Amino acid sequence: MTAFLPGVGIVLALELRQRVRGVAWYVLLGVFTALVALVTTLLWLSNGYTGGFGGFLFSGILFFVLLLGTLVAPALSGNAINGDRDAGTLATTQVTLLTTGQLVLGKFLAAWLTALAFLLVSLPFLGFAVLTGGVRLGTVTVSILVLAIELGVVAAIGVGLSGVITRPLFSIVVTYLAVAGLSIGTLIVFTLAGIATSSEARTTSIDVAFQTENEDPAATDPVRCSPPVTTTYSVPRFDYYWGVLAANPYVVLADAAAGSFDTSGTPSDLFSGTAVLVRQAQIPPDLDATYDNCTDIREGRTPDFDTPREIFDRTVPTWFVGLASHVILASGALLWATWRTRTPAARLPRGSRIA
Amino acid sequence: MGEGIEVTGVSRSFSAVTAVRSVTLTARPGAITALIGPNGSGKTTLLLMLATLLRPDGGSIRVAGHDPVTHPAEVRARMGWMPDILGSWANLPVLATLEITGRMYRLPRPAAERRARELLDLVGLSELAAQPTRVLSRGQKQRLSLARALVHDPAVLLLDEPASGLDPAARVDLRVLLQRLAREGKTVLVSSHVLAELDEMATAAVYLDGGVSVSAERIAASRTGLRQWRVRAVAGPAAGHGGLADALHAVGVPRERIAADNQGILVGVQNEADAAALLSALVGSGVAVSSFAPAFGELEQTFLDLQRGDQP
Repeated sequence: MTAFLPGVGIVLALELRQRVRGVAWYVLLGVFTALVALVTTLLWLSNGYTGGFGGFLFSGILFFVLLLGTLVAPALSGNAINGDRDAGTLATTQVTLLTTGQLVLGKFLAAWLTALAFLLVSLPFLGFAVLTGGVRLGTVTVSILVLAIELGVVAAIGVGLSGVITRPLFSIVVTYLAVAGLSIGTLIVFTLAGIATSSEARTTSIDVAFQTENEDPAATDPVRCSPPVTTTYSVPRFDYYWGVLAANPYVVLADAAAGSFDTSGTPSDLFSGTAVLVRQAQIPPDLDATYDNCTDIREGRTPDFDTPREIFDRTVPTWFVGLASHVILASGALLWATWRTRTPAARLPRGSRIA
Repeated sequence: MGEGIEVTGVSRSFSAVTAVRSVTLTARPGAITALIGPNGSGKTTLLLMLATLLRPDGGSIRVAGHDPVTHPAEVRARMGWMPDILGSWANLPVLATLEITGRMYRLPRPAAERRARELLDLVGLSELAAQPTRVLSRGQKQRLSLARALVHDPAVLLLDEPASGLDPAARVDLRVLLQRLAREGKTVLVSSHVLAELDEMATAAVYLDGGVSVSAERIAASRTGLRQWRVRAVAGPAAGHGGLADALHAVGVPRERIAADNQGILVGVQNEADAAALLSALVGSGVAVSSFAPAFGELEQTFLDLQRGDQP
């Protein structure tokens, strides 16, 4: 175990010099910056009113950086190990005193740092959003931290799969599929499963009966109620499946950074808005509701609805479960890659030469 | 004891294909041992097992006194491996490649850099030190690969086809270098199919055939046949092909042992003593012999004999 970290550092430095140094990478970074700038401008222009817009701007940019980051990270990490094997440089490092763990960890850190560069170039735009006001410090730190971890998760899955799958192209594609599975797949499963398992719900409404001409004008009661009307219909049961959405990286980011509401209980950034939307699924539908509008009117009450903030406050946060599952997935991928890459090798990837 | 390479009954197969069936060999310190065999005879697979990269299915291996399966780190610290595939970090300068390799062997940074410069000097790549490795020619990559195998001054060297792609001058340099390393007491195992070249430097040889190392008895048995020696003569009546053949016949060589090819006369002899007797007889009979030498190298002859012996 002596000198574990220096060994990781050697691999990290080598990876950064070997992969990152290249015109293509800087072009990619430039395009990325331009896109974030464009999105920032468009978000800014879409601002219809002044004041309190910083939260929406900040969260909008960060969601976009998560989208672009998860699109770029697999390409940067998905051939870390099998690409070296193809180039004939893996075995020459494996005969040195570096251990497989150092090799895999160094490659992961390099892929993560490379992905973090994309977060770094978007910091000026995030800073601009903060300057426009209305962004809480807690939201800034938590969201950036969670985004950084999510980029690390994608990098780890990419490096892990590159150690497990023989062909670089295939491992990059599978990494993209894994990211898509988390980002879109969870949404599809949640929606379809919710719709497929719908329940029968019954609503009873008591409305005000309109007065007719031949009615006795001397009636004591000014508002008369019509008899209750019952309708039945089917409602999707999303409350069974809200846990699926916890694994969605966008939900993790939103749920972790949520909590900004204005005085009327309305979300003041996209994180809180998304979190409320997702957390709403935790509340089971009322399968036998009675809406007595008549009594409300007669007694001069306005019907009481929960504000988004109230919904947010009475539901449970899920982000740490989602984040923990991502970190476990990422660690598992790295361990699997380490196990499959260790030498002396018992079995070789099919159709490949070890050198 | 405990040094060099000891391999006993090693086997290794890949799913359906058995690459190495049963190999037993010894390579001693101070010797250059040639690993000879036709394509697909298991040379590279064997070297991968010696280089701690591949786990044997059976048998035992000792490299520099350690088992590469149970103690790979001990073996790696003492073993340098030059693969048959030339991989290099394409964007990295030549000097940095060696320096980083040195640091992977836990050399401190200044020592790694010093060693890298030393090795570039040794393999003649100093002028290219700042160039990225992707601009190197095949032969230059080959020399870089050799330098990389020497970074940590290993006691055991495993070289897989080190001479392929080298020009004649670089081959001579390689031979001189390996001979020097052997003199310093290192164990050198070289696989190659350029047999003439191995002949000039190898002090021992191991033959592989179909994943099996050929036993000493089989080699001895293959040597019982006649050896071809090439004879040349200048001036005099025996200078021409016909004349030389007649002269050979005149000193008692049966006609069926005398053959001619486009380069001259070949004569079959039993052994070195036989050859010496024939030479003195020829000279005694007045033939102006200018050249009298084995037509094939020792290794090549054995290789061909073994190949021939396999055929019914």
